[in-house]
Amino acid sequence: MLLQLKNIFKWVNTGGQRIFLLKDINLEVEEGEFISIMGPSGSGKSTLLNVIGMLDTFDEGEYHFLDESVHTLKEKYRSNLYKEYIGFVFQSYHLLDDLTVAENLEMPLLYKKVKGSERKALVADILDRFNIVGKKDLFPSQLSGGQQQLVGVARALIASPKLILADEPTGNLNSQQSEEIMELFKKLNKENGVTIIQVTHSEKNAAYGSRIINLLDGRKV
Amino acid sequence: MFKNYLKIAWRNLVKDKTNTSLNVIGLSVAFAVAVLLGMAALFQLSFDGFHENGASIYKIVKTQQTPRGPEAGTVQPAPLAPSLEAEVPGVKRITRFLQDGALAIQGDKEIDIDIIWVDEGFFSMFSFPIIKGDGNTPLAQLSSVVLTKKAANNLFGSTDVVGKTFHLLVKGKEVPFTVSAIADDMVAETNLEFQMAGRFESHADYLDNKEQWDSQYHDVYVELEEGVSSTSFESGSRGFVDLHFKDAIEMLKRDGASADENGRYVNLELVPLADVHFTSLKNGYVSVSRSLPYLILGVAFLILFIACVNYINMSIAKSAKRLKEIGMRKTLGAQKKQLFFQFWTESLFIFLISMGIGVILSFVFVNDFKTIFNTQVSVDMLLRPSFLVGLLAMVMLITVFVGGYPAILMSRLGTIQSLKGKLESTGNNKVRDVLMVFQFGIAIALITGTLVLWGQIDYMRNKDLGYDKEQVVSFPLNGKRNSNDVIELLREELKGNPDIVSISGADINLGLGRDGSRSSSKIGFEYKGRSVTTNFLVVDHEFVQTLGIDMVLGRNFKNASDSLGVVINEAMARELGEEDPLSAQLEISNGVHIPVLGVVKDYNFKDLDRAIEPITFYMSKEWGLSYAFAKVAPHNMASSYEALENTWKKLEPNAAFLGSFLDENVDRTFNREKTTAKMVASGSVLSIILSCMGLFAMSLLIVSQRTKEIGIRKVVGASVASITYILTKDFLKLVLLAFLIASPVAWWIMGEWLQNYAYRIELSIWFFVAAGAIAVLIALLTIGTRTIRAARVNPVKSLRTE
Ligand SMILES: Nc1ncnc2c1ncn2[C@@H]1O[C@H](COP(=O)(O)OP(=O)(O)OP(=O)(O)O)[C@@H](O)[C@H]1O
Ligand SMILES: [Mg+2]
Repeated sequence: MLLQLKNIFKWVNTGGQRIFLLKDINLEVEEGEFISIMGPSGSGKSTLLNVIGMLDTFDEGEYHFLDESVHTLKEKYRSNLYKEYIGFVFQSYHLLDDLTVAENLEMPLLYKKVKGSERKALVADILDRFNIVGKKDLFPSQLSGGQQQLVGVARALIASPKLILADEPTGNLNSQQSEEIMELFKKLNKENGVTIIQVTHSEKNAAYGSRIINLLDGRKV
Repeated sequence: MFKNYLKIAWRNLVKDKTNTSLNVIGLSVAFAVAVLLGMAALFQLSFDGFHENGASIYKIVKTQQTPRGPEAGTVQPAPLAPSLEAEVPGVKRITRFLQDGALAIQGDKEIDIDIIWVDEGFFSMFSFPIIKGDGNTPLAQLSSVVLTKKAANNLFGSTDVVGKTFHLLVKGKEVPFTVSAIADDMVAETNLEFQMAGRFESHADYLDNKEQWDSQYHDVYVELEEGVSSTSFESGSRGFVDLHFKDAIEMLKRDGASADENGRYVNLELVPLADVHFTSLKNGYVSVSRSLPYLILGVAFLILFIACVNYINMSIAKSAKRLKEIGMRKTLGAQKKQLFFQFWTESLFIFLISMGIGVILSFVFVNDFKTIFNTQVSVDMLLRPSFLVGLLAMVMLITVFVGGYPAILMSRLGTIQSLKGKLESTGNNKVRDVLMVFQFGIAIALITGTLVLWGQIDYMRNKDLGYDKEQVVSFPLNGKRNSNDVIELLREELKGNPDIVSISGADINLGLGRDGSRSSSKIGFEYKGRSVTTNFLVVDHEFVQTLGIDMVLGRNFKNASDSLGVVINEAMARELGEEDPLSAQLEISNGVHIPVLGVVKDYNFKDLDRAIEPITFYMSKEWGLSYAFAKVAPHNMASSYEALENTWKKLEPNAAFLGSFLDENVDRTFNREKTTAKMVASGSVLSIILSCMGLFAMSLLIVSQRTKEIGIRKVVGASVASITYILTKDFLKLVLLAFLIASPVAWWIMGEWLQNYAYRIELSIWFFVAAGAIAVLIALLTIGTRTIRAARVNPVKSLRTE
């Protein structure tokens, strides 16, 4: 089992009132799964994904990732954990405008303290795999939206994570571009055994996955 | 990793050119100013710090309790030093120190030379390196003298002159002296400077004063044995004082002086050599004040502070633009520490560049700085290891705090919030506001200080001093002839010139002349069973009319032989306490009663920081005059000056003519105030410019962050004026708050400063209002143009850029 959420609650207090963002979420994810999270706007999809990605905390419940109990870990160890095993893909790509494509791809490796020569090799390898060798010295602003998201996926993959979390990865793309990205996810999932959890509004995209989780007002339905 | 930080730092700096260059310019200027001012302050603070034995050397000050309160003086009688050495334990070496000048004659060369008359051990006590000749006991012989390299070159045209002889003109006679050693040229940081050092016993007045305990005319420096503290020496000298100043103490007791807390009337006190440069004998006490160098350091610090505040504020404001980057990096595994170092590297980058430019700027401007601020700092000071280490330490410190603070703030931001691109931080704005209030507070306080300083200087310059300073030229009688004769000769020569109204002389100048020397002379005597102290001025009979001083009672001296009486001022008349001052008979020297001929109106013969003291004019051929005074007609003043110069050259072909109008002399006496004013003024100009640079950068950032808001407001119908108002009012509030905080502080400081002057301006409210108005106006101009432009942009455009 890759990860397990047990009775997760998350809330915020506003004006003396407790508003629940996540209510009693239980979830088990096996390695190699491809899960889609769906639900109306404001139902807590992003919140859940951030909790799984350890970017956000929760108030109650247990979270086990591989053999670690995430809820008991200090920030530093948590960041080591997701640095090692998790890659993120965002709706608005979140590439750094000041860095070239190659440099954007290199960045996660820098934070993992990968050696220089190895970094070069990994970057060259992924550029090749995604067919964007010709774009490696361009800046994000010089790419189309689809190309930028391609780089975003490539960046998430470069450190060979076990789990990819994608929050509406195709939200800003046209249908043809979305299809390409979804095909890519499918291929990664089938051929490389990468676990994928994605948030999506589109039934069509959700169909690429092996399982669908529906949220409503922070609760699994 | 580090390479990566540098790369990103560089790109970020290049990307935001306006911001980066504002930061670099501001910091460079601040660093340059800090370096220059720091040097000026250190120059002051290092006065006479180079003497190896300095820690155990002291200047002796005699303090006494008089009926009018305590008095302190550094001048001592000739027998004091040898007696101290012989009778009080703990003295390792001691030297008398008398500054003097004379005409040195060598072949056909005649040169004015600055002389110190000292005791044999002088060169063992003080570290003036001897480069040629006898380095151990250069003053073993009474006729031996030490010349500086420069003086030897001037006099002999060479420094290979050990063993050679030249003459000094002493009381009209040529006295031979032999060069025993050559000293290296003086560093500027000493109060003991000389061109020639000779034995105290060879000074012309020595024989008359050798045994005189009541004739005081020179300083004394003492070096204590190891392990002897100044306090133990001071208490050890009490028996000595009681013995040798017995008569003086008796007199003080009789006149009704009250003893100090130790029951004593006369004490010897020691002032450490390092403190001598900062010692003043205010109100009869020795007071050591380093406030000027610390004021300079303070201004330097404030300017650095302002530039640093700019940097902090801009970094924090800019961080809003970098939220996405911060969040992204965090999701990619960056730890707080790594983010901190990334942002800190950027700061380090800016600081090092600015420091470099700053040092270069200070090198470039050091000469202008020296002339404008009248200081003798040199570039070598910059290269001294201690200075360099200090500079580096300062940069490191600034980098840690100023670069570190925004870096910590940024690295601490939560991942999710950063990714959403929203700062939830009203706290940061508070820090920014406080810092900006400080900035403008400093600027406003400095502007107020400048205005008050200028006001006081202007007041001193224009105050009626009770004598005619615009039309009187004074010049030192530095030639060979007898001074009374030369005054007569001048009168004779210039009789036919209608523009020269009258000529006279005195032994003390008014203000500070071009010869740079000042002196004062005081005597005390018995009057009707009390002792009376008065300033004493030897004059020529036409002194009063030449200076245009008003007579209030009696008459002036009639002619050159009318020397059997004195003329006094009103303060002296009050001191005598007679209903009719003209009836007084003064017994200035034993047994001789001198009548008071007349009383002149009080005039400011000393600087304006003192009240007018009693003064007595006396005519005496024996005592001689030192300065000539010539009153000229109000027209053709330049040609009258020339006529004086030519006549002087004719009478004394070998002496320089150092004449200047008395108003120039008076101006020179507040050189210190003028320098302070210049420093504070440039400090205030810089601080307001730097503050406004910060303000400008902030307004740019704020406007760009609020583009969307501006657009929306305009769409719903807001006018340009109302939008400009919204954008400006937050900053203006800060400037006003700064004014409210700074004004009372400035009020208090300037009030304290003005207390130093017996004659001073009132602290009017307008100084403060003007300073505040200047600050508000400049701030408005700074933000105004940008905000108005932003407010006028077509709203469709500003909405689209979001
Ligand atoms: N810090 C917060 N304080 C208060 N409420 C919050 C906070 N963060 C999120 N919420 C609320 O939590 C709910 C879930 O937000 P979330 O972003 O997870 O929705 P979502 O399902 O991703 O919606 P969308 O499909 O529009 O992206 C929303 O109603 C949101 O208003
Ligand atoms: Mg969402």
